[in-house]
Amino acid sequence: MNLILILLQQMSVFLVIAYVFSKSPAFYALAGRKQQFQHKIIVYVTFTTFSILGTYFGLPIKDAIANTRAIGAVLGGIFGGPWLGLAIGFTSGLHRYTLGGFTDLACGVSTTVDGLIGGVVHLYILRNGGRDQLFNPLAAFVAALSTEVIQMILILTIAKPFHEALELVKVIAAPMILANAAGSALFMSILRDKKNMVDRFQAIFSGQALKLVEKITGPLVNGFNQETAKEISTIIQEETGVGAVAITDHNTILAFVGMGNDHHVPGGVIESELTKQAINENRVIYADGIDVPYSCGVSRTCPLGSVLVIPLRAGKEVIGTIKLYEPKKKLFLTLNKTLGEGIANLLSNQLLLIRFEEQKNLLTRSELQLIHAQINPHFLFNALNTIIATTRKNNTLARDLLLNLSNFFRKNLKRSQEFSTIAEEMDHVKSYLEIEKARFAERLIVEEHVDPNCLSFKIPSFTLQPIIENAIKHGTSNILEPGVIKLTIQQTDNRIVIEVEDNAGAYQFNGKETGLGMNIVDKRIKNKFGESFGIKIQCEPDLFTKVMITFPLEGQLNQEW
Amino acid sequence: MIRTIIIDDELHAREELEYLISETHKFEIVDRCENGIEALKSIHKHRPDIIFLDIQMPVISGIELVGMIDDDCTPRVVFVTAYDDYALKAIEENAFDYLLKPVDKKRLEKCVARLEKDLSQKQLPAYHIPKINRIPCHCGRRIKLIDPKEIEYAFTDVAGVHIVTREKELFTGVTLKTIEQKTDLFRCHKQYLINLMQIDEIILLENGAAEVISKSDKRIPISRRYLKPLKEKLLL
Repeated sequence: MNLILILLQQMSVFLVIAYVFSKSPAFYALAGRKQQFQHKIIVYVTFTTFSILGTYFGLPIKDAIANTRAIGAVLGGIFGGPWLGLAIGFTSGLHRYTLGGFTDLACGVSTTVDGLIGGVVHLYILRNGGRDQLFNPLAAFVAALSTEVIQMILILTIAKPFHEALELVKVIAAPMILANAAGSALFMSILRDKKNMVDRFQAIFSGQALKLVEKITGPLVNGFNQETAKEISTIIQEETGVGAVAITDHNTILAFVGMGNDHHVPGGVIESELTKQAINENRVIYADGIDVPYSCGVSRTCPLGSVLVIPLRAGKEVIGTIKLYEPKKKLFLTLNKTLGEGIANLLSNQLLLIRFEEQKNLLTRSELQLIHAQINPHFLFNALNTIIATTRKNNTLARDLLLNLSNFFRKNLKRSQEFSTIAEEMDHVKSYLEIEKARFAERLIVEEHVDPNCLSFKIPSFTLQPIIENAIKHGTSNILEPGVIKLTIQQTDNRIVIEVEDNAGAYQFNGKETGLGMNIVDKRIKNKFGESFGIKIQCEPDLFTKVMITFPLEGQLNQEW
Repeated sequence: MIRTIIIDDELHAREELEYLISETHKFEIVDRCENGIEALKSIHKHRPDIIFLDIQMPVISGIELVGMIDDDCTPRVVFVTAYDDYALKAIEENAFDYLLKPVDKKRLEKCVARLEKDLSQKQLPAYHIPKINRIPCHCGRRIKLIDPKEIEYAFTDVAGVHIVTREKELFTGVTLKTIEQKTDLFRCHKQYLINLMQIDEIILLENGAAEVISKSDKRIPISRRYLKPLKEKLLL
């Protein structure tokens, strides 16, 4: 009876060690899904140590040691599989053998077998239950039980003299069987609890991340601007509990929520070098305030002490950043760092999607607008009226005009391609202009200077005609003298430049006359090629208005699109 | 024969309409104009019974033009337009009728029938047209649209109607009477209108008349007859 109590006492120490082990990083080698080589080493070392410890915590009895060595070997086998179990058991068994005593060989062999049995159980479980069941205390109990029984049998068969062995076994069998089996089960139970905790933690973390992500994608539907940025920042700050969250675009702060929001103001220009660096180099920058210094560029009394700057991308282009801050003296949780990066990735995807939708919409709007422009009753009916008048006087001209009209409509209804060559766009414009020239007669003069080398270059469809139409609508038909429209297409240092100039100078940038069409074309170009291209307008009132469209030359030659 | 003027900035449109109108044999086309400035002059000169007026014209739209016509000679107005949208507005503004381009012969005939009936009643049309926002003036070959607020005074003489702003003096085809009715300028003399906001000083003369000195030091006469109304207007 005493023996069992003492063994249980020893085992308690053992279990404390198990508990401590479960809290150590080595534990993750077991709990994790990946079983790489280094994990196997950890399992080997850990459980061999346990097993040997079991020997030392043993109680010497009649020249033998009643102990809990089997626990380490069996569990090692359960976790590591037959080969690892064998290795562990053998190592520990060898160690026991070196300690001597008349059961030395028996115990040595037995421990080796223990490991092997653990390994067999491992295989059985994997085949029938899956990895999680490895942590089943019942399996451990049964395994340890059987190994102890086998050990007793081995002692009886191997240790000499037999009668001494029998004496020994009578004393230690029950206690050792019970202690080892119970010990294994308890050990396993502790490990299992810890694993469940890790699992649950991960689930909560994923759940939190998913919830966060769900909440964020909502506002993004409305675009990426100060308002939505503010909503998103607030959500992130609330969910993660970091000190402050900021979102910027290329050069201004779109939103700032949390500590320090008195001097970090939305709409302000980006002061921080870290942010600019993150944008330019397109990488995550972490300033923990210790190794990498961080200090607020705006106020000396700013409470913030560390910052994580994560670039936000739409596709390949960096369009802004998300910044997470913690106050001084508070450490950045790794959790939040990972979460932060995950969110930035997700937002980047969303932004790309939004841009894509926008681009699609712009294209649709542009097409619809153009179709309206044609079916634009003003153009159509005036054109028909002109042609009807012409039939009376000049049949040939009337026929030509009708052909132009038909060509114009035909081109226009072909909406399948996003890009057309300049030659195609010019053909489109020509049909339009022939009709307008006939309509306005000597009141409209058109001068064209098109570099023939540019004709094969591709530009977004329906770029040119709306601009020409604008020039005629807002420009020429607003003056009493004849209107002169100059169209120039040429290439100059790496750019393709298209210029449309009228002599009316009536273009008002602020008024409603701005022309939705112009804005749409500009946006499309910027979306596709970047901010440094697009539409620029120069206007000298009553003198001239010049619309300049630029595209990059690169990519034209290898026809990237 | 119904006397008419065709006003449209497009040559082909004018010719087409002229052709259709001639075919009805009911009209005498006294003039053809290609913009609002010309049209104003022409309408005041010829006093037609009806005008065919395009809405979409450079600088001064057809609708604006109607507001500038002296109500002594207001003709009936038929708007001709390519697009429906404006037609509705035109009707609200009491145009007599509207025609859509390209003009359908039958539709024109209907319009003419109504017109004949209306003319036989010998009533001058009355259009409710609100204040004019800009007055088309010419100075040499250039056309300028002047905001009435910038006018210091306007006067008429043998040469026509003069508009005087701080910097320049221009001519306009809009009659003094129309300007008086359709802007805030105040009649201070048989031949003068004055912008009350531009008055700097009023000097009373011995004969009961007076003189205004404008903010840019120009002198404008006030006749006896209009002195009292002016004083009342200024709450003196």
